[in-house]
Amino acid sequence: MITLTSVTKLYNEGRPNEVQALKGIDLEIARDAITVLKGPSGSGKTTLLSIVACMARPTTGRVTLDGEVVSGLPERFLTELRRTTFGFVFQRFNLIRGLSVIENVMLPAAPLGGDHATVRERALERLAALDLADKATMPVEFLSGGETQRAAIARALINDAPIVIADEPTANLDTELTMRFLEIVRALRAEGKTVIMTSHDPRIWDAEGVDAVVEMRDGAIFGEFA
Amino acid sequence: MIFQTPIMALLLVAGLASLTALWSGGFAVQVLRRWNLADMSRAQLQRERATELVSTLFAAVMLAELAALLLFVFNADRMASLFVGAMCAVGTLNVNGYGFPALYLKIGVFFAAVLWLMLDRADRMGRDYPLTRVKYGVLLAIVPLVLADAGTELAYFLNMHTDVITSCCSKLFTPANAGLANEMASIGPGASLWLLGGAGVFVAATGGFALWRGRGFGLYALASVLMFALALTAVVSVISPYIYEYPNHHCPFCILKPEYNYYGYALYIPLFLGTGLGVGAGMLSLFRSRESLAEKLPAMIRRQVIWSMAGFAGFGLATLYAIASSNLIIFG
Amino acid sequence: MTPWLRRQRALADYTLASLARRKGKNIALVAVYAIVVFVLASAMFFAASLRLETSAVLRDAPEVTVQKITMGRQDLIDGAVADEIGKIRGVTSAKPRLWGYYYDRIVGANYTVMVPDDPEMIPEPGSVIVGEGIPRARGFKWSGAPLFLSRYEGDLKRFNVARAFESDSALMTSDLMLMNETDFRDFFEIPAGLYTDVVATVRNPNEVATIVEKGSNALPQMRFVTRSDIERTYQKLFDWREGLLAALAAAGILAFVIFAAEKASGLSAEEMREIGILKAVGWDTRDVIAMKLWEGGLVSLGAFLLGTVTAFAHVFFFGAPLFAPILKGWAVIYPDFALAPHVDGLELLTLALLTIVPYIAATLVPIWRVASGDPDAVMR
Repeated sequence: MITLTSVTKLYNEGRPNEVQALKGIDLEIARDAITVLKGPSGSGKTTLLSIVACMARPTTGRVTLDGEVVSGLPERFLTELRRTTFGFVFQRFNLIRGLSVIENVMLPAAPLGGDHATVRERALERLAALDLADKATMPVEFLSGGETQRAAIARALINDAPIVIADEPTANLDTELTMRFLEIVRALRAEGKTVIMTSHDPRIWDAEGVDAVVEMRDGAIFGEFA
Repeated sequence: MIFQTPIMALLLVAGLASLTALWSGGFAVQVLRRWNLADMSRAQLQRERATELVSTLFAAVMLAELAALLLFVFNADRMASLFVGAMCAVGTLNVNGYGFPALYLKIGVFFAAVLWLMLDRADRMGRDYPLTRVKYGVLLAIVPLVLADAGTELAYFLNMHTDVITSCCSKLFTPANAGLANEMASIGPGASLWLLGGAGVFVAATGGFALWRGRGFGLYALASVLMFALALTAVVSVISPYIYEYPNHHCPFCILKPEYNYYGYALYIPLFLGTGLGVGAGMLSLFRSRESLAEKLPAMIRRQVIWSMAGFAGFGLATLYAIASSNLIIFG
Repeated sequence: MTPWLRRQRALADYTLASLARRKGKNIALVAVYAIVVFVLASAMFFAASLRLETSAVLRDAPEVTVQKITMGRQDLIDGAVADEIGKIRGVTSAKPRLWGYYYDRIVGANYTVMVPDDPEMIPEPGSVIVGEGIPRARGFKWSGAPLFLSRYEGDLKRFNVARAFESDSALMTSDLMLMNETDFRDFFEIPAGLYTDVVATVRNPNEVATIVEKGSNALPQMRFVTRSDIERTYQKLFDWREGLLAALAAAGILAFVIFAAEKASGLSAEEMREIGILKAVGWDTRDVIAMKLWEGGLVSLGAFLLGTVTAFAHVFFFGAPLFAPILKGWAVIYPDFALAPHVDGLELLTLALLTIVPYIAATLVPIWRVASGDPDAVMR
């Protein structure tokens, strides 16, 4: 269970261009579920996602992860927690150009100091499960859109994080690839992962297997649907 | 004498270390006044991130000071040929009143940086950064030390005049003259070895007890300091003569020379290592009961004690080897 | 391997891949860096081997030289002084010497002319033994060509060149000319019984100071110069010139440091994005700093090795063509000899501190600034 209590987030605090991205959010996100945050761009869903995923600290309020308060942790411990708890798939996938697929997939494991051969093996397994085994040593700029996304998913899973975070995962995908993505998400769910996504794509929130949808507008929660 | 390449290198390191110390000191004041982990503002986040810079800078200063310490002694040795009466580093350091204080301050800065980095490491183990205030308080105390080191070094090099007749190790480390160095030299070799052996037993006993019972680390730190002092005395009074194979040559610097196979390094490196880690263990044990450190800190302290004891053991072995392989016979 | 080591390895792997991807830029940086190291290393190696050479030459020199001082200048000394000094306890031998300088107007060079002590080296009357610099300066095409010396307008004296020195340890002998005593006194018009100076050897080097003191008391009008005095003067001279060059190199180091700081803080958009991604996928500020330090370390190591090795070749294989005129001296005849290759830890440590420390200092703050960006920056 991830719980947010009266969470606000200010950007550019104390400056003339101060923005309140979140206004007093109270929210519970269940583990062992697929949760979608929906809303128009600028509604604060990405900011909320980054706070849920321990990527940023709220300006005020409290965040707990499985009962432990994480909102007051120093950034370093937040990072330590994040890299073993959350796997990230970004909107623009954010693979590093010039590196091969497998090198990209192994990046989140570098600071953990795991055994190189073991990590590599795990990466190859993940890539094989996502039909990318033959592209492992190819530079990422030669991949197609769908392959790029699957490489990004493999990277999100390399540290065996129990929670997978996806920010606008289908923004750049056609219907066929979107369906493929949803299949992968359901498979992850079946593995026991918790999935949290943001999206303004109806194909996502209407999809089969989505357990909860949280709608946001102007930095506040507009409605919750199960 | 400023226009000597090694001196320029030393002054460069001292200058950069001073800059680092001054900036870190300013930051430390800010931390002491404003540090508040409960504050989730951007300013606090910036302070947290700035601590990473301070840690990195101090690690860099420690490494640079270690290199500078070696260079300082090396260079003093080489410059001996420029001064009438100087045969090795001792003569050069004696050229004016700043030489030996500069050396002691350099050693002091090195130890202070090492201890501070240990505090830093312990602090990072706890999720609430429990030692941050202590750490930056200590840092404020280190700043003047670093500045004094740079100032003394500058004064030392600026006041080096080659027409000064200096006295070297053969005069300084002889029982005939008054002073600490001579008292060290005049302690009988037998007594000195007994004292060293006693300190070794004390270190082993307190270390063993601390590891076994998980307390008494302060006593171990004390034993480490005692061991350090007695080991240096033994180097002057008995170990050096064995290495030189000449009963009246007591210099603790000449053993660093290539003529004696750099044997001094085999003595000093483990000794400094053992002392630094031992004193550090005692310092860290003060914070062992902090809630957020209770899980990881005791293991770090134990490791430090083990490595410290290993360092002293290394020194002991190097001493025994020096005595066993020497052609000089003092006893018997 | 411990997790710490494995983490370092993973970071280093990433750094290597990242360096390889920006080859052009990094090669340029290493090249500029290496030039700075090269200049400084050349000056230091050269000065150090000159110092070594000097000590080697002076090792066989007599411990004490006695000069007669008249009106504050060196004057010819009576040979009887040697006997008096020989009587001081601890002096093994004391001998008068004849030597002087000769200005060769034909080529505009100064030669050192000497009557050798070693009977083997005394040439026949009318002949000289010369250092290799003299035939070179005169442009002798074949061995056996006679040497004509002119002391003043209209004067010409012929000598046969018995042989020339090998240029082994040539710093102080390349301009040397040996004559026998009769020729010398005749050539320089020195009356019999007077000498240039007196040299004494001493049994125990620790007694030199005492002997000098006794001698000064007995012969107050004489000046006593010890071997270590001479050595000190040379050391100081070479140290000072090396230091001067290093101070000049400091300007170069400063320029390089500004360049490096500029480069470290002005990262391209692509590099900034990469670091943003690393932070987003779970790298901490520390990890990014460590990775960047690996980068700085590898660049420094590469530049240091490259600069040191080329400087070594420059000084010891090619005779330091770029610095020799400044460092060697002001005599017209530069000795033509190979410096004995010699590098010690002190020089390397100094060099490393003078080049790597400024580089790290210049890049640390920019590195930290880049590394401490917000992890969620790539999501915005």
